[in-house]
Parts: sequence; C-alpha cells; structure tokens
Amino acid sequence: MQNFKALFLQHTSLTRNHLTPEILLRLVTPSCPLWRSKDSPFEDPFWAFYWPGGQATARYILDNPLIIKDRRVLDVGSGCGATAIAAALRGTKRVLANDIDPVAVMAIKMNAELNNVEVQTDTNNYIGTNCEEFDTILIGDMFYDEDFGNMLFTWLRELASKDKMILVGDPGRHGLTKKRLSQMTLLAQYKMSAENCEENNGFTHTSLWRINK
Amino acid sequence: MARVLVGVKRVIDYAVKIRVKPDKSGVVTDGVKHSMNPFDEIAVEEAVRMKEKKLASEVIAVSCGPTQAQETLRTALAMGADRAIHVEVAGPEYETLQPLHVAKILAKLSQDEKADIVIVGKQAIDDDSNQTAQMTAAILDWPQGTFASKVEKSDSGLTVTREIDGGLEVIKTKLPAVISADLRLNEPRYATLPNIMKAKKKPMKKVSAKDLGVDLAPRIKILSVEDPPVRQAGSIVPDVDTLVAKLKEGGHV
Ligand SMILES: Cc1cc2nc3c(=O)[nH]c(=O)nc-3n(C[C@H](O)[C@H](O)[C@H](O)COP(=O)(O)OP(=O)(O)OC[C@H]3O[C@@H](n4cnc5c(N)ncnc54)[C@H](O)[C@@H]3O)c2cc1C
Ligand SMILES: C[S@@+](CC[C@H](N)C(=O)[O-])C[C@H]1O[C@@H](n2cnc3c(N)ncnc32)[C@H](O)[C@@H]1O
Repeated sequence: MQNFKALFLQHTSLTRNHLTPEILLRLVTPSCPLWRSKDSPFEDPFWAFYWPGGQATARYILDNPLIIKDRRVLDVGSGCGATAIAAALRGTKRVLANDIDPVAVMAIKMNAELNNVEVQTDTNNYIGTNCEEFDTILIGDMFYDEDFGNMLFTWLRELASKDKMILVGDPGRHGLTKKRLSQMTLLAQYKMSAENCEENNGFTHTSLWRINK
Repeated sequence: MARVLVGVKRVIDYAVKIRVKPDKSGVVTDGVKHSMNPFDEIAVEEAVRMKEKKLASEVIAVSCGPTQAQETLRTALAMGADRAIHVEVAGPEYETLQPLHVAKILAKLSQDEKADIVIVGKQAIDDDSNQTAQMTAAILDWPQGTFASKVEKSDSGLTVTREIDGGLEVIKTKLPAVISADLRLNEPRYATLPNIMKAKKKPMKKVSAKDLGVDLAPRIKILSVEDPPVRQAGSIVPDVDTLVAKLKEGGHV
C-alpha cells in the first residue's frame, strides 16, 4: 500500500478536466509521462483514467440526485471511483465501489479522500450474483470487450427484471449492440471534452441509459 | 457513411541497420526490431480521421503475416481502428508473400466486409514494391488515388491530391475507391496508454488465405539480394581552390 501510494502520487496528477469538475481526481493525464509511455509500472491501470461512460453516470447522478435518494448503490467496475464518489457526494443510503482489481480499490480510496467522502470498497466479482444487498447498480464504460459484454448484459437484464435500477454510462462502444440498446432507455447525453474526443477516436458524446425491466 | 479497410504491414523498423543474409536470399529478420510500416501508420491515421469527421462509420485494420502481425494490428487498434483481421501467413509462404497475394486478400476482404474505401501505404519500406494499392484497385475494378497527400470528401466520392513528379495532381474518384498514402498526407498520432489498454480488448479475427480462396504460390522469384555498394572514403580539402582543382581533375566540372 505504501509503495503503491508513492507510485500513484508519482505517476498521476490532480485534475478536474472532465464532465464532473466538482470531483477532484488523481489520474494519469496527458501531462503525465506515463500517458505516452509503453512501460507502465502498473498492469493495465484502468483506474488511472476516468472513462467517458463513468463520466456520464456521475454527471447524471450529480444533476439528478433524487434518482439515488435512499438507495443502496453498487458501482461495479468503479475504476478511479468517480461514479461512486458522485453518489456519496449527493448522499444515499449506502455506496459500494467495487472493482476486481485490488489496485483500483487503493486508487478509489485515495480519490474518495480527496473529495472528503467515504465509500466502501471491495474486490468481489458480483457478476452473476443476486446482489441482494443493493437496489441500484451503476455501470461505467464496461462494454469495451465482446465476451465480457455478453456476460454483463445477461446479468444486468436479469437484475432489471427483479426490479433493480440499472444505470449504464457508455460512449457507445461495440459491446452495446443495437439489440441491446433496444432494451435500454436513454436518459441523458453529454458532449465530451475536446481532450476526451481526441482519446476516443470518433466518439463525441457519452450517454446514460437505464436498462428496461 | 463509409466503411474503411486499412492494410498494415509489419516491417523491420526504419531505424534498424539492415543486414543481408550471407546466402543473399534476403535480409536478416531474426531478433531485429519490427514496427508498423510508416506509410501504413499514415493510412491508419487518415482512416481514423475520417471516422472522427463522421465520414467513416468503421475502420478495419488488416495484416497478412505470422503471429507477430497481431502486434502491428494492436498498434492500429490503439491508434483508433475499431477491429482487426489477421490473415495468417507463416513459414515459407510468408517468405514469398508478394504484393499480388496481399492485393487479392485485401480485395476479397473488401467485398466480404462491404468496405467503401481501402487505404494502404504507398509502399512498404522493406520491399519497396509500390504495387499493392494499384493491384487491389485493378482486382476490384475500383478507381484509385495513389500517392495521396490530401483526401477530401466530395459530393460523388473523394477528391484526392496526388504527389507526382511535376508537383501535385488533383483528381476526383467515385466510391468505392482505393487510396495509397504518401508521406505528407498527415502526421500519425502516438498510441496513448488508455488507447493501448482499450486496444487489447477490441475484436481481432483470424483467417487464413485459404479461407479467403487466395492461392499463395509465388509469382516472382528473388534471385539475389545484395548490399548497396559501400561508399568510398572521402577526403577533407584545406580550401575552395583545392576543391575546385580536385573537381576539375576528376572531370566533374
Ligand atoms: C517513412 C519514410 C519515408 C520516406 N519518404 C521518402 C520520400 O518521399 N522521398 C525520398 O526521397 N526519400 C524518402 N525516404 C528516404 C529518406 O528520406 C532518405 O533516407 C533520406 O532522404 C536520406 O537523407 P539523409 O540526409 O537523412 O541521409 P544520409 O544517408 O545521411 O545522406 C544522404 C546523402 O547526403 C550526403 N551526405 C550525408 N552526410 C554528408 C556529409 N557529412 N557531408 C557531405 N555529404 C553528406 C551524401 O551524399 C549521402 O549519400 C523515406 C524514408 C522513410 C523511412
Ligand atoms: C473501463 S474501466 C471503467 C472504470 C469506471 N467505471 C469509469 O467509467 O471510469 C472498467 C473497470 O472494470 C473493472 N472490472 C472488470 N471486470 C470486472 C468484474 N467482473 N467485476 C468488477 N469490476 C470489473 C476493471 O478492473 C476496470 O477498472
């Protein structure tokens, strides 16, 4: 942990340059040498970036706090933690930031501290489980992988049919097929920052959907 | 919106000093650094920019070669291509893989994938054949805009500025069309860490030349590969007069 903290501080910088500037985050940004480096001391640091999908989810929650009022929220694949932090900032019954990557959990804790909120974390794999302790599931940018997307969507539909609220933020990656989009309701669409567009070749907007019952 | 197919070749890195094999059958490739052919980086960049400008809906990168060709495809994906097709060609077949084979493969894939634009580099810096674009266009019977230094969308197709000996030539082509990228078309972007990570998850399909019905029997035989002649040692002269005298002596002026 100590070792990670030093590396984390060394390789990231503080930024509000995203769709939720009210949340301060430590991320690997274009000003960090690691942005352009092929030798990263971290293995696939998904937590080092604030993905467009997570940005849409967090933006929506910050703007529509009633939707999570008195809810028990699970942010699956929380990455840098921003979406869970957004829920914690607006106050809800419970927020858990989940990521199977233990390094992400360390990053989430540090980012939560920066924003003076507490979020619970864990590294369980909830996919396929009933999620009895939660009534709201947040998914930020998890449809970048075909096989994983299949598993994820089947599970989310199952949970939606059990009356859970499933919010999905995504710029429209290949895992969100037309068929899947037809089973979701679009709640909001946000224009991405210029920097984000540059990083996401062709995507200019990021959207927030709710999976239909 | 157009679907764009881009050919990317894995070649010996442009900065490596090339060594000819003792038996003169080719150049030494074992243990040598390889990268994407620089003109193909330009081709990928152009395709990705078309997507960013909403002129293209999808960019598909194709590479023909051994397993390592997948590294080159991952680079294309990290630059922004959406998916990749690895046409596996290995061993002796790879040694004798020629522009005609690649052109046949690209032509077949263009049809299978319903591509509207094929972009390749004007030449690969290893074999310097400068044939793939032209042959692909011929096989498909599509128009071609080769040595492109600018590609713009026009009402009926593309307006392509070509680098030719006398300067620049501007042509219009209908779609579908084949483009070959010249050096000044654009400056390719670096693949950034988040994009390298995303690229690992993008779809990559593997097919064989046989699956595509392309016969890889060689049509050209390489007789010998030779080192370029060694440059003769120069000499430093004390002043301009001596230089002029020497040039006259050698019959150069
Ligand atoms: C991606 C790519 C694209 C390319 N595109 C093109 C292209 O479009 N057009 C093209 O022509 N080439 C192209 N090339 C080839 C490349 O540009 C040539 O290698 C380059 O022109 C060589 O120039 P140089 O000065 O760097 O090379 P050098 O090999 O250093 O020099 C070339 C010549 O300069 C003279 N010279 C060098 N040093 C000295 C010295 N100390 N004193 C006196 N004379 C000296 C010599 O006559 C020598 O033969 C390309 C190469 C790559 C990798
Ligand atoms: C692209 S990131 C998105 C991060 C964040 N939601 C955002 O939008 O910025 C995907 C994250 O999902 C995590 N992940 C992958 N599979 C998971 C699983 N089965 N359960 C929980 N997290 C998972 C990864 O570790 C990674 O941090």
